[in-house]
Amino acid sequence: MKFINLFRDTRPLDWLVLILVTTVSVASLFVARATSAKASDLVTVEVKGKIVYRLSLSKDTEVDVKGPLGITHVVIKDRRVRVTQSPCPEKICVRQGWISRGAIVCVPNRVVVTVGTEIADRSVDAITG
Amino acid sequence: MQSQDNLRIAILSAFAIGLHVVERLIPSPVPWLRFGFANIVILLSLILYGFRVAVMITLIRVLVGSLLVGTFLGPGFLLSFSGGLVSTTAMYACLRVFRAAISAFGLSLIGAFFHNLTQLGVAYALFIRRLDAVLYLAPAILFLGIITGSINGVATLAIIKRLRES
Repeated sequence: MKFINLFRDTRPLDWLVLILVTTVSVASLFVARATSAKASDLVTVEVKGKIVYRLSLSKDTEVDVKGPLGITHVVIKDRRVRVTQSPCPEKICVRQGWISRGAIVCVPNRVVVTVGTEIADRSVDAITG
Repeated sequence: MQSQDNLRIAILSAFAIGLHVVERLIPSPVPWLRFGFANIVILLSLILYGFRVAVMITLIRVLVGSLLVGTFLGPGFLLSFSGGLVSTTAMYACLRVFRAAISAFGLSLIGAFFHNLTQLGVAYALFIRRLDAVLYLAPAILFLGIITGSINGVATLAIIKRLRES
């Protein structure tokens, strides 16, 4: 199979699409950077949108949170956070490994672990918009 | 015509489901990486046999695939369902509007992009409700979509070329 020949089968619009989707992806990177709050020690663990733990990144600890599928095990160690056990089928949260900023999201068990987002207690209600 | 289409749907769905299940055996270094090889089959059927066949294969792939993998009716199923449906529709719309001005390569990128965008949107709307967390995941997922979309697009181009030659 002559691989190079396939490029003759592409059309100008293909490359426009490639440029467009790349632009949107890069833009999303900047938007994500801009919206992620300033660095802080706060680690929040949410289940179904409700904050169940507010922890400090500088204090090593381990917590279990109960989601719809079962127990998700969250570990804080050496100023990093990770999910070590989860009952979800895909284990994306576990495979994400250690993070020191950003978020670990487990969609099936509805668990969200965030690092460094210093926002007022959201357990009251969801902010819409 | 109808029964011929049904036969195509059956055979191509089997291919799509097979690819969907087998691709999970490939170890990947990044957790969000999904090759979406089934989209090669969807794209081929969209170009060769039209929207009805492609949508049927998408629905069968999502349904049977989730039963085999074990995510049926869970959040993962809803993401897969909405992503698949929007992705196939978006690819069809582009094919319909641009026709010969776009090839399987561009369509595959469109499909991957809308698949990911839909999944992020549905995950936010139904399951996460934390815009910052979803936005944090978006760049990685969208970039991976460009890579896998390109691979699937080139594969589809190669298959179409082969089919036309024979």
